[in-house]
Amino acid sequence: MIDDLQLARAIREAALATTGVHSMGSGRYAEAATYGAGEKVSGVVVDPDEVRVHIVARYPLAEPLPALAERVRERVALRSEGRPTTIIVEDLEVEQNENL
Amino acid sequence: MRIFNRIIVVLLLAGLVALGIAAIFYAFDLAGYRLANVPRLLGLDGFAQSLSNFVGNVERGNLNPLDYLVLGAIALLGLILLFLELKPPSPRRVRMQDGTYITRSAVRDEVVAATERNPEVLQSDVDVNAQRRPGAKVDVTASVRRGEDTRRLQSEVRNSVQQHMGQVGVPVSNLNVRIAESDPRQTQTRVK
Repeated sequence: MIDDLQLARAIREAALATTGVHSMGSGRYAEAATYGAGEKVSGVVVDPDEVRVHIVARYPLAEPLPALAERVRERVALRSEGRPTTIIVEDLEVEQNENL
Repeated sequence: MRIFNRIIVVLLLAGLVALGIAAIFYAFDLAGYRLANVPRLLGLDGFAQSLSNFVGNVERGNLNPLDYLVLGAIALLGLILLFLELKPPSPRRVRMQDGTYITRSAVRDEVVAATERNPEVLQSDVDVNAQRRPGAKVDVTASVRRGEDTRRLQSEVRNSVQQHMGQVGVPVSNLNVRIAESDPRQTQTRVK
């Protein structure tokens, strides 16, 4: 049994390793993070009965957002200890080498 | 509604603070020991008298039509507030699928991009609302020059937004497009 902070770190790494994810979101109305002693993991909220993952998608999209969210969920599910996972796409970020 | 609730709670707490201060004055006999004197001390003698008369009339069942109207309005206001309080709040994020959401601002940015792709649109104003069911309610107002074919542009903007949102994968359950004829000097873009 790992603590929430370790879990959040692992989930964050898994989410960022997913192709199409630009970065982690930080929340819109309240900061989306998991807090521990002297440390916080932004973009992942670990609750006792749920895990929320806030992502910023890379633009242009290689696939529709629901498909990207589903891939993130699959990766994250392996590390979320069976808790239901909610994926929140906060924004789309244009790659620097794209002239859009 | 939450803001309204907050205002009500603030007023309630302010009233409790005022009552607490009045109780301290009363306890230390700073303004006399008769509560009946409080309205006079506060300069609310006339208001307290009319309120007392009104409550007395209610108790005796001696009401005029205006009193009935005021009581009816208070009851109706209470009913409306109760309904608004019981109504579940509208979601903040747009649901794409079960457990998958996108923020309204991200949807708005995509709709603006799709709308302004049309060279005749000088400016767009987009309002996105999340719903309890999957999909967003999107209201688009596209500003164009005077004399343009608004019906054709409305159709083009609608198709462009639907196509783009389909590619992105964000369901739009309700799309309203309005074309507004504007002076180019008052829009963000004058020439495209």
